[in-house]
Amino acid sequence: MNSMELPLVIFTVLSQAAIGLVIISSIRQFAAEGPAGNVRGEWLAALVLLLVGLTASLFHLGHPLGAVNAVKHLSNAWLSREAVGVSLFLALVIVGFFSIKDRLSPGLAALTAIIGLVALFFTAMTYAPPGYPAINNALPLVFFLLTAAVVGASVSSFFTSQEKIPLLRLILGGSLAISLVVYLTVPFVWLSGGTVMHQTGIEYLTSPLYWSRIIIGLALPLAGIWMSRSIPAWIPALVIIGEFMGRIAFFSLTLHASSNIGGL
Amino acid sequence: MRKQLGFYIDANRCIGCFTCAMACKNQYHQDIGVIWRQVYDLKTEIYPHRERAFYSLACNHCENPTCSNVCPVKAYYKRETDGVVVHEQEKCIGCGNCIRSCPYGAPRHNPVLRKAEKCSFCWERIDSGLEPACILSCPVDALQLIDLATFEEPNAVQYPPGFPKFTSLNPSVRFRVAQSPTVIRRKRL
Ligand code: SF4
Ligand code: SF4
Ligand code: SF4
Repeated sequence: MNSMELPLVIFTVLSQAAIGLVIISSIRQFAAEGPAGNVRGEWLAALVLLLVGLTASLFHLGHPLGAVNAVKHLSNAWLSREAVGVSLFLALVIVGFFSIKDRLSPGLAALTAIIGLVALFFTAMTYAPPGYPAINNALPLVFFLLTAAVVGASVSSFFTSQEKIPLLRLILGGSLAISLVVYLTVPFVWLSGGTVMHQTGIEYLTSPLYWSRIIIGLALPLAGIWMSRSIPAWIPALVIIGEFMGRIAFFSLTLHASSNIGGL
Repeated sequence: MRKQLGFYIDANRCIGCFTCAMACKNQYHQDIGVIWRQVYDLKTEIYPHRERAFYSLACNHCENPTCSNVCPVKAYYKRETDGVVVHEQEKCIGCGNCIRSCPYGAPRHNPVLRKAEKCSFCWERIDSGLEPACILSCPVDALQLIDLATFEEPNAVQYPPGFPKFTSLNPSVRFRVAQSPTVIRRKRL
């Protein structure tokens, strides 16, 4: 991974965390009986995560002051659409935060969640270019949705009322289990692809980073939820560390098509 | 078909001398580490002979250039007149998206300017009736300028082994693949 990609790691993980948090917050408020919990604190957390992520994203530009121009190519460029989507999401999170009393209006919560998902989709398309055959498909979308789910559900545990812990455990446990299956399967699927895809699979399977991420970010938290009746604070911490490791792997282990020019 | 300039790469003639890459460097004085034209060695699984074979590659000025499609600031445009894909560096904000996106590794990161850049097909030279510097410099005529609208060479291929196949981009290059050398053995007496 080159130094230009570290800001992308921070931006993608934190923006997806914010999107996940807003979605889970909305589900939690309206999908189960009981007190809403600290919704204001939760949206503030989403806002802070998003702002830190957006600030980091500027550092990946050679010329951060030109960032405003990044919306010029909406007709074709996913990055332009991403810039608009994320800005819209940011605006809604701010409006949402200031309009929360005890709960948030269901309409605004749903709208913010949907725009968040749209922004996440645009981000996923940005990171699925032809240059990287292993991820020139729906995988970035799957990876990013899973990040939103696991980080959103685990961070949400800080803001929930006790009554809704079982619901969060269900969402977090389910998304961790799906992540585990996806991340353990994908490198083997790559092995059956063309040379660059195959090589990407090998890079993953022989990387200590990949295996540490599986254990730290997915297996241990899943075991933790299984064994305890709640979501202890160490679980969100491990999940977030794991997602950062996974994203570093995504940017550093995925091979570019040009690396195989001259080879079969 | 509309005029579309492209490179004809004769891998049967190319001797891997790097003169084309050096001519490009002399023409544009790129910063250290920035390479617009690269000569790639074919791996032995494709060409298993001691006389090695090469592809001299730069930007392919694709029919559907992903570099241009993904650029958020519209720093690329494709010339109507001849299909050359031009990068306007003054517009570039250095997001790296074109570098990630092009499967041929043509756009490169310029660490000094913190922007992308790539082969321009020497469009200023073309507009003055001159050949691109790389083509002009090749001592064995292994690089040629072609117009795909009129190019007719039955044995030319677009995706020889060792050149990434991305049909959605439709790169404007054609190759003559390297033939196996004739092996002459002394007759057993
Ligand atoms: S080879 Fe790459 S940089 Fe050149 S036109 Fe095609 S996509 Fe763009
Ligand atoms: S690096 Fe420059 S030319 Fe390439 S996509 Fe970004 S802004 Fe466009
Ligand atoms: S100058 Fe000609 S022979 Fe030499 S590497 Fe380039 S294409 Fe090949």
